[in-house]
Amino acid sequence: MNVKDLAQELLYEGVWGGIQGIFQISLILIPVLILIEFARYFRVIEKISARMKPLMNLLTLPPEAAFPLAAGLGFGIVLGAALIIDYAREGILAKRDFMLVGIFLSINHSMVEDTLVFAAVGANPLITMGARFVVAMLVTRLAAYIIDRYTQRSSVLPSSASKHRIG
Amino acid sequence: MEQLVGPLQKGLSKSASLLWLLTRVIIPVSCLVTLMEYYGVMEVIARLFSPLMALAGLPGEAAVALTLGFLVNYYAAVGAIVGISLSVAELTTLAVMLGISHELPVETVICSHTGLKIPFTVALRISTALVVGMVFNLFIITAGGLC
Repeated sequence: MNVKDLAQELLYEGVWGGIQGIFQISLILIPVLILIEFARYFRVIEKISARMKPLMNLLTLPPEAAFPLAAGLGFGIVLGAALIIDYAREGILAKRDFMLVGIFLSINHSMVEDTLVFAAVGANPLITMGARFVVAMLVTRLAAYIIDRYTQRSSVLPSSASKHRIG
Repeated sequence: MEQLVGPLQKGLSKSASLLWLLTRVIIPVSCLVTLMEYYGVMEVIARLFSPLMALAGLPGEAAVALTLGFLVNYYAAVGAIVGISLSVAELTTLAVMLGISHELPVETVICSHTGLKIPFTVALRISTALVVGMVFNLFIITAGGLC
């Protein structure tokens, strides 16, 4: 085992590769996070959330969770998670709800990019996209069922939806 | 003017704190993955996965792509797939499995900041991927039998 080789590999692939990855993420992350703040300021978020109501009902989530979900579906889990963390800090979402968004998004995120990458190699894009969506939904519903069953006291209280409003 | 500066500032400061979080996650993980590649840990994991591949109707070689996808990212998996000849059905199965479960070291650590424990997310994603692979295989076998 050559120590010099390993050190070189670590520095080049590990550190430099990591920095490149972070730079690529920042190219999307910074503009999107700024846009989101504007969207919040000008109350565009409520309109997007209203459109996503059917999906939110399917997932048993309050309308407030629609925006982190949409961000994760479109731009990837890093952004989705960023918004969940932000919403959790500001107390917009209850724990049950952001856990469910996290579970849904860990299975299904960045739908466009991920689907295109594999379609380019020859996989069927409609099936890949549809199957991932359906699986994520089933798993989220199952998780919601389990969480609600074992935390019955909190489910008697009004859900986070009625307690907090954005803006 | 205020309505332009406020959101801009807020967006920038949120980006900065998030990028710092990502730096703390991605660089150590990327070094870890490099070490695993250097010491051949990937091959060992791929060998563990390869018997499971049959359940999803995939050739054993697909285990390498799956392992790379699980540990590194989606693109690494695609790189490994190019070397194996797979039918459209097999590619689609693999794509769904990898779509459900990929880049676990980075993504699960980031997700853990939302309150989901790392072992939970890892177990959930890998087992979901394997179950979905098996269900797909059943569908394909049934569809193939009907034709």
